[in-house]
Amino acid sequence: MPTDHLSTTFAALADPTRRAILATLASGECSVTALAEPFAMSLPAVSKHLRVLERAGLIARGREAQWRPCRLEAARLKEVAEWTERFRAIWERHFDSLELYLQTLKKKERAHARKSRRK
Amino acid sequence: MPASPVANSHTFAVSTPSDTEICMTRLFDAPRHLVFKAMCEPEHIRRWWGNLGDGYSVPVCEVDLRVGGAWKFVNRHPRGEAVFYGVYREIAAPDRVVFTEIYEPFPDAESVVTAVFTEEQGKTRLTATMRYPSIDVRDMVLKTGMEKGAALSYDRLDEVASRLQG
Repeated sequence: MPTDHLSTTFAALADPTRRAILATLASGECSVTALAEPFAMSLPAVSKHLRVLERAGLIARGREAQWRPCRLEAARLKEVAEWTERFRAIWERHFDSLELYLQTLKKKERAHARKSRRK
Repeated sequence: MPASPVANSHTFAVSTPSDTEICMTRLFDAPRHLVFKAMCEPEHIRRWWGNLGDGYSVPVCEVDLRVGGAWKFVNRHPRGEAVFYGVYREIAAPDRVVFTEIYEPFPDAESVVTAVFTEEQGKTRLTATMRYPSIDVRDMVLKTGMEKGAALSYDRLDEVASRLQG
């Protein structure tokens, strides 16, 4: 299991600005200037976020000299989505399952109590 | 995400009381001794734990419920199997139980789980606190979506990912 690079990816995703950047890039590739626009943030600050995303393999940047458009790297994001899906809300489901089972147990115990009272 | 139709589902909450802990809590509509039993006795555990619908089963559920006794659960799920194991450290029915837990792929990430059962307005509150060996391990667990909030914030990413797949 590629835990280490998943940890890097999750760390990159832990920031709301970086998630917003990824959401923007889902509609297509974009320049750094255009990405910076919706955020009250300097270009260097945005570039820093982009470097984190690039290191995590979540985005790639074009090599064209000036423009260097950013684009989403689908593979890594899919891997994260699959991993997350496995754990997502798992405990909520376990506990819901426990709640339902407890109702069965409760009924059984009541029936048992009635039976012993009759004896 | 559609709201869960199961009773008390909305009482489920996750918090991080310290750097190395994750705390989960939920109310259950049952007396305390029953909740304790359902959490600790294998014939009950295998009826709910890992029993999450089609494709899920619990082929192994071994519990040696005494201090120093081992436990092991295997959850077969649609994508494979998940193996969890550990040792009981403290058993005080029906108030609390303390055990270690290891998820097989991460043998170094042993957590200590303290489950506390309290009576609350005719219901039982289960509070399970998981203490991890380091902040990194805890954050890894959190970021893999055990926290509801985290799961929700990743919903958007799932959307993005599914658009990419489409």
